[in-house]
Amino acid sequence: MFFSWDYLLQGFSLALSPTNLLWALVGCLMGTLIGVLPGIGPSSGIAILLPLTTVVGPIPAIIMMAAIYYGAMYGGSTTAIVVNIPGEASSVPTCIDGYELAKQGRAGPALGIAAISSFVAGTLSLVGLTFFAPVLANVALAFGPPEYFALMFMSLSLVISLSGRALLKGLIGTALGLLAAMVGQDPLTGGARLTFGSEELMAGVNFISVIIGLFAIGEVLVNVEEAVAYIYEKKKLDWMPTWADIEQSWGAMLRSTGVGFFMGLLPGCAPSVTTFVAYDLEKRISKHPERFGKGAIEGVAAPEGANNATCSGGFVPLFAFGLPTGPALAVLLGGLMMYGLQPGPMLFTQNPQFVWAVIASMYIGNVILLVLNLPLVGMWARIALLPFPMLGPLIILFSVIGAYSIRFLAFDVWVALIFGVVGYLMRKLGFPMAPMVLASVLAQMLETSLQQSLLISQGSPLIFFTRPIAAGFMTLALLSIIRGVWLELRSRAPEVAEEDEA
Amino acid sequence: MKTQRSADIASGIFLSLLGLIAVLAALRIAGSPDVRMQPRTLPLILGWIILAAGGILAARAWHLREEERIIKWPDRSGTFRVLVTLASLAVYLLLMDPLGLPLSTVLFVAFLVWYLGRYRMVWAATLGLASGGTVYYVFIRLLQLSFPVGPLGR
Repeated sequence: MFFSWDYLLQGFSLALSPTNLLWALVGCLMGTLIGVLPGIGPSSGIAILLPLTTVVGPIPAIIMMAAIYYGAMYGGSTTAIVVNIPGEASSVPTCIDGYELAKQGRAGPALGIAAISSFVAGTLSLVGLTFFAPVLANVALAFGPPEYFALMFMSLSLVISLSGRALLKGLIGTALGLLAAMVGQDPLTGGARLTFGSEELMAGVNFISVIIGLFAIGEVLVNVEEAVAYIYEKKKLDWMPTWADIEQSWGAMLRSTGVGFFMGLLPGCAPSVTTFVAYDLEKRISKHPERFGKGAIEGVAAPEGANNATCSGGFVPLFAFGLPTGPALAVLLGGLMMYGLQPGPMLFTQNPQFVWAVIASMYIGNVILLVLNLPLVGMWARIALLPFPMLGPLIILFSVIGAYSIRFLAFDVWVALIFGVVGYLMRKLGFPMAPMVLASVLAQMLETSLQQSLLISQGSPLIFFTRPIAAGFMTLALLSIIRGVWLELRSRAPEVAEEDEA
Repeated sequence: MKTQRSADIASGIFLSLLGLIAVLAALRIAGSPDVRMQPRTLPLILGWIILAAGGILAARAWHLREEERIIKWPDRSGTFRVLVTLASLAVYLLLMDPLGLPLSTVLFVAFLVWYLGRYRMVWAATLGLASGGTVYYVFIRLLQLSFPVGPLGR
């Protein structure tokens, strides 16, 4: 039997011991800092701090590492909302409405809703992890390359909705994002593609550089051009979300939990995918989809909820099969193995104390993070009150650090600079940026799973329509594309991205 | 490119040319006998899509006869500010290797804060020094990330 109340209660008693509580608190603090600082994602954060955990036993060490992981996920939204720097691809959908809210003096409510949504989604997903881990873990095993390709294809079809009224420009952005991601080595053969003989281009164009350039540097250039004095001109800021904000976001928090948790069970289905899916879902079912992109609070709640739910979902295949669903969990797996713990079906029977203490500590960690983050909201929101001539250079500095620290190559910073200019021009010319970002994030997995699928089917594309899960995703994607094209053909309005219409 | 229509025509033509370059570059990608889908296939398809979509964008804008949306391009001083910001960022990146990240950060932040805000030099220099110091102590000393340190590392 996998679940037992006794084990769970024992886990809580272990996790609530003063020492373990302290390590969870330290991990949450470090994770939040890692999330806020540019360039240090959760995976490198855990890797950097891994040696520090050797001074304690395995249980507090893993409690601390898990706390760093979801603490970083909490902290990642801060720069996205306040200064439009998405340190990770998963923060891009948060930028879209979060930064708009910051410009309206509502950075505080946006940060507050991000923290509450992360807490709700994180906790509900933990309930799923607690009760259904072995059953749910089988979902991950039902996914082969054709299912992944179909899922990625369906995710790519979100560009239809993300493009708004500029579908053709969204399509061009998507193609450009995919093309940029194909520069470098072919994933199967290793041959050079679109490198024009340049050695630097062999390393490929990293999508984080693209994102930093398009959003952060592009936004700074627009503000510099207009000689903006402050991101938010008035001096009065809202600090906390109102009940109306919470009421408005409640549904989004619950729906994004479902999306994030179930997609988080799949290896490779990172928060960068699930946050886009959750954002798109909210926009589609909203009675006022036109508010999205202009400061809809649900546009912050949905991606932030999905982000944390995906993180918790990822622990299911990690514990049940030793299958890390993303780079950060792969580092965490290394940490587990460093302590002689072998994740897999036997972990629950051989080391129940360990597993349940870590799961219980995650519930506690979520509470710690909420308590820690809500009072800090006011401090972060005040950044919007800094004069832009001071803030602008600092945003560029953090963008440079973020881009450089991806692979410690100056080339990545030059890429960010080039895409900064591209982002500036896209804003001026009415091209939506989100489709390009989504395409560059999905490109590698899309291509790899397509090539693997065609190898399995000996070149037949019918493989995507003969397997039930893949066929389901493909049908959804095709319906979405047909609907988008139909609406585009009916429309005779000029092609302008919605964010530029104001 | 003052109106959306003219901007769409110009960007459509530019994108078509970009698509054409991508198609030509994709045709030069070496093939492999071991795979079902050649390395050039997707870049080639994407090149054609960009070429065609750029053409459609330009053609649609050409035929559009509706109310014109005016694009807010910067005036001369705005253009100059953008160019100076980009140039200072390029110089920052060029100096990063010989001077290291902390020292080049001091120069970049001090200059750009002074240029954009017309603050007193002392104030801009203080902010530059604080930024460079933070970069050095947090990212290089504390987190030990592999940023170039320049003369500070010797």
